[in-house]
Amino acid sequence: MVINVARTLPKSSANGPGDRYVLWVQGCPLACPGCWNPDTWSFKRKDLRTINEVAEDIRGTRGIEGVTFTGGEPFAQAGALSLLARTIQESGLSVFIFTGFTLPELKEPEHLRLLECADILVTGRYIESLRSADLPWRGSSNQEVHFLSNRYGPESMIGAPVIEFHLNPGSPNSITGFPIEVEWRSPL
Amino acid sequence: MSAYLTLMTPMVDRECLLQALCDLGFGHQKIELHETPASLTGYRGDSRAQVANIIIRRQYVGSASNDVGFLATPTGYQSIISEFDLRNFGPGWTQELNIRYKHHEAVKHERLAEEERKRVEEERKRLVEAQRRAIHERAAKLGYQVKETKEGETLRMVLIKRTY
Repeated sequence: MVINVARTLPKSSANGPGDRYVLWVQGCPLACPGCWNPDTWSFKRKDLRTINEVAEDIRGTRGIEGVTFTGGEPFAQAGALSLLARTIQESGLSVFIFTGFTLPELKEPEHLRLLECADILVTGRYIESLRSADLPWRGSSNQEVHFLSNRYGPESMIGAPVIEFHLNPGSPNSITGFPIEVEWRSPL
Repeated sequence: MSAYLTLMTPMVDRECLLQALCDLGFGHQKIELHETPASLTGYRGDSRAQVANIIIRRQYVGSASNDVGFLATPTGYQSIISEFDLRNFGPGWTQELNIRYKHHEAVKHERLAEEERKRVEEERKRLVEAQRRAIHERAAKLGYQVKETKEGETLRMVLIKRTY
């Protein structure tokens, strides 16, 4: 089984608690207006990787606390991601998932299998008019954070980084997290 | 009377040619450099019709020798060696000169490439530093605290807002 990957970031602290390996999947059926990653909407093949390949990459990343699935829409590839999530958890890493669906919308068997593996789930469409810079791990105030295991609680949101930059003289710079303010959309 | 033969060599870089001549025993003290080509002198002390930008005067070439010269042309330096002097500075010598020239040219290209790599790297570092400062300024204006960590060449800047 393969995962259609949009991109990965080996270490980020703006996509959930602690330093996390972040996997952006390719393909999203929701296409929220104002979405930061419209390039991940298409379901066309981007970078197909086997679950083992991704798992190896994650296991080879030192100093991370867990893995974050985002996108794109992770639940559009729930079958493969649930297998990956199980492997990750066996390695002692936590699983954080961003989804544009609401919790009641996640009722398919493969959705439930992925939910079983999640420690934290952030749900809900991104609604541009409700965007907020004051909510950790969320882009708009309608979105909800669910703590699905005993590993984390609301205290893990305290002091959570909102935005993260990676600057490197030899490769393209990147920004991740929730750069809500319009100032972050203009070049540095 | 001895004639002059003009031999073409594909040497375009003066610095590399001078280094190659130095390798063959003609260091800078035995070389005359002329921005405007100067006349070569024959074995009798007579001024010849040929001119050159790089000249090895006849006393360094050998007894009864003529000057050896190299004239800068759009297609490279043209060597000017008299027929008499071809005994010691013939095709074998020219070939050796070419080999030495090519070696110095390769070394120079490598050095220039390395200098260019360093220049580009410095420029990228300068750009990253400017971006870093811009992020700090923008973050301060928007009420963010910035924490920096470095992993290898990558600078990670996380922005935290203490409103929750």
